[in-house]
Amino acid sequence: MRLIRLRPYWKTAAMEAAGAIGDDPLFLLQYLFRLLRVLVLLSIWQVIFAGRGAVAGMSAASVLTYTLIEEVFADPLTTRTELWVSLRDGSLAVSFLQPMGLVGQFTSKMIGRWFFGSVTFSLPLLMLSPLLGVSPMPASAAALALFVISLVLAITVGVALEFIFGGLMVYFEYSTYAIENLRSAVSVLLSGALIPLQLMPWGMGEVLRWLPFASVASAPLTIYTGTGDPLFLLVMQALWAVILWPVAGWLWRLNRERLVSFGG
Amino acid sequence: MWRLYARMDFLMLTRSMRLFLTWYLSDTLLNVAAVAAAFLLAERFDGIGPWSKYQVLFLLGYSTLVRGVLETFFSYNVLYISRRIGRGQLDHILIQPQPIWMTLLTEGFLPLSLSGVLMLGLGLTAWAGLNLGLSLSPAWLALFALNLAASCAVVVAFSYLWGSLAFWAPRAAEEISTPLVYMVYSLKAFPLDGLPLPMLGGLLSIVPIGFVAWFPCRALLGLDDSPLGGFITPLAALALGALAIWAFSKGLKQYGRTGSQRYHPLGHRS
Repeated sequence: MRLIRLRPYWKTAAMEAAGAIGDDPLFLLQYLFRLLRVLVLLSIWQVIFAGRGAVAGMSAASVLTYTLIEEVFADPLTTRTELWVSLRDGSLAVSFLQPMGLVGQFTSKMIGRWFFGSVTFSLPLLMLSPLLGVSPMPASAAALALFVISLVLAITVGVALEFIFGGLMVYFEYSTYAIENLRSAVSVLLSGALIPLQLMPWGMGEVLRWLPFASVASAPLTIYTGTGDPLFLLVMQALWAVILWPVAGWLWRLNRERLVSFGG
Repeated sequence: MWRLYARMDFLMLTRSMRLFLTWYLSDTLLNVAAVAAAFLLAERFDGIGPWSKYQVLFLLGYSTLVRGVLETFFSYNVLYISRRIGRGQLDHILIQPQPIWMTLLTEGFLPLSLSGVLMLGLGLTAWAGLNLGLSLSPAWLALFALNLAASCAVVVAFSYLWGSLAFWAPRAAEEISTPLVYMVYSLKAFPLDGLPLPMLGGLLSIVPIGFVAWFPCRALLGLDDSPLGGFITPLAALALGALAIWAFSKGLKQYGRTGSQRYHPLGHRS
């Protein structure tokens, strides 16, 4: 019975994964560009750490693994749905006509897109990593197990943030673009996706690790590389998930009627 | 035409001061975030490779200026040309009573909406310049302006070169300019010294990210011993520009034969 209820979500994810293929293999070029970006980032870290020992508890090897795994799991660690695009072009109206919940629909589509990216980019990158001089291995078997739990919590927090920002987009009506910019800026800067929080100057990382954005990227990556306290990180992630989901639900209920102002 | 589009930009913004402020501030914040990574690293490690902290800051300022100029002159997907072509919006340009190049050079002009990025770039460059004790002669300023224009031309040419693929594969290549320009934006602010030579060669030819900020800044800051260093980026822009014009012209001929079977209004200036 439960499987039957899950079928619409699974089919939505499958359709999204298949849709990514399009009508021409030319779309694969974007993965080549992504790969090049990873190569350059890894090289820059090697230049920065040349002749240095561990900095703030992170060795060159752990920073490289952190960067590699961040790129391999880039989609789950950024957790972006198509919600803002739907709000901008008005296609959200169609989503309300589907016999599925809004969160489930957008999450299914998001996971469907990840599937394709994982086959065409993440797996090849993992396999290439020894050639790049980067170890893809986690700090320990326990770190890998905790990473999986942390990744699920990261996605939970990330989707909640998506719907909170989505609620703000509805509230501020014509500022969809501005709120999206804000969301992107905050995600890049505060999540620890690009720079490990431990390596930020002026003790910024000490503050940022308490914020929900750190739960989306920094926490699972820190656990994977064994450079942070897993218990603290998992508790923070669970705490933010518990706090943010009611806020997201409340914002949506509050703003649902305002959606009439969006026409695409 | 620029004056006309500047006026339209002004009218659009003044419809709502709240809208103007939120767009302006969010764009500026996004651009701060875009360069913050390199700045934070430079601060934490007192520079990146052979580049000192303030040299990195100069690089950040220059690269932000490049982005500012591009966004000011090539908005509304004029820079992301594959979107225009792939979505069947090229007809909007073709029916204008002026040459295509003139429309492309003027239609995306947003001098007010995106001036925050330019201001940020100018501020960062000036801050770095003061701390580096740069002596600003007219010749240096001319070289700076020449390289800035050349760096912008490199990005536009690169986007048009690849974006022209959308003439042949409108659906599959519709978004090809997007990851390409984003990749340029995300890597433009890092010094590339010390990278393996084959990679560096690739970043100065096949994917010319090196010319967006790193190479011209090396010349402007005197980190390049070659007397012609300041003219390499303009020469690269000319070569890449010629290649992009060739590809775009070929694509236009193809478009003349087949037209577009798709149409999507998203992203077009209306």
